[in-house]
Amino acid sequence: GAGEGGKKRKSRWQDEPKPAALLLSQIQLPDFIKELTGGVDVNPEVQALNLKLLEINRRLQSGQLDDDRPFEARSPSPEPVYDNMGIRINTREFRMREKLTRERQEVIAQLIKKNPNYKPPPDYKPPKLYK
Amino acid sequence: SGVLGSFGLGMGGAVAENPTRVIMLTEVVSPQELQEDNEYEEIKEDMRDECGKYGTLTNLVIPRPRPGENVPGVGKVFVEYTDIAGSSKAKASLHGRKFGGNTVVATFYPEDKFACGEFGG
Repeated sequence: GAGEGGKKRKSRWQDEPKPAALLLSQIQLPDFIKELTGGVDVNPEVQALNLKLLEINRRLQSGQLDDDRPFEARSPSPEPVYDNMGIRINTREFRMREKLTRERQEVIAQLIKKNPNYKPPPDYKPPKLYK
Repeated sequence: SGVLGSFGLGMGGAVAENPTRVIMLTEVVSPQELQEDNEYEEIKEDMRDECGKYGTLTNLVIPRPRPGENVPGVGKVFVEYTDIAGSSKAKASLHGRKFGGNTVVATFYPEDKFACGEFGG
């Protein structure tokens, strides 16, 4: 351990890099996050939100709208709603898309709250003030 | 959830490398430096001080050349920590640092080989 005394002699080790640089170099982010944030934002909360947003975007775009929860963990399906043609409107996919879209709005709202400079996607609409 | 899962794995950085409690530092010291008793002790002290910053050391081995013998591992430094947290931090921090003008290369070293006193590679 430490405290070996005799600190007069200079260590052969060259000085460590500056703490800030060291910290940044030790945090390893996936590349897509670095692209997203320009490699500057290392706030773990913001990172988590960004990841969540990416995952939601991916699911919405890929049409992967199945419920990944186990069957027994799901809430009961609502009564079916049909349109004039007798086609069901509130299908599982439709409801999942609505749910993800709602989540997406919420995540973006939180990102804006955490960082006022955050540029929301062009299709983002701020939540209406009445509820 | 899939993205979050893979994110967790990626954080370690050296997933493929199989972390161990032992790190090996190469390109650090020359056999000539190790021959001098004074210099050898100083090198050992510098290593112990610096490596001790990253975790609790359990062992530090710097193979020393012996005249007329081919001692394996001469020029390398082996550092054993109590846990992988220490060795990982040390590896990440020391790799690329300069020691006496040499740029250090840090890798994990198999614990079983270290325990048997095999320093050949």
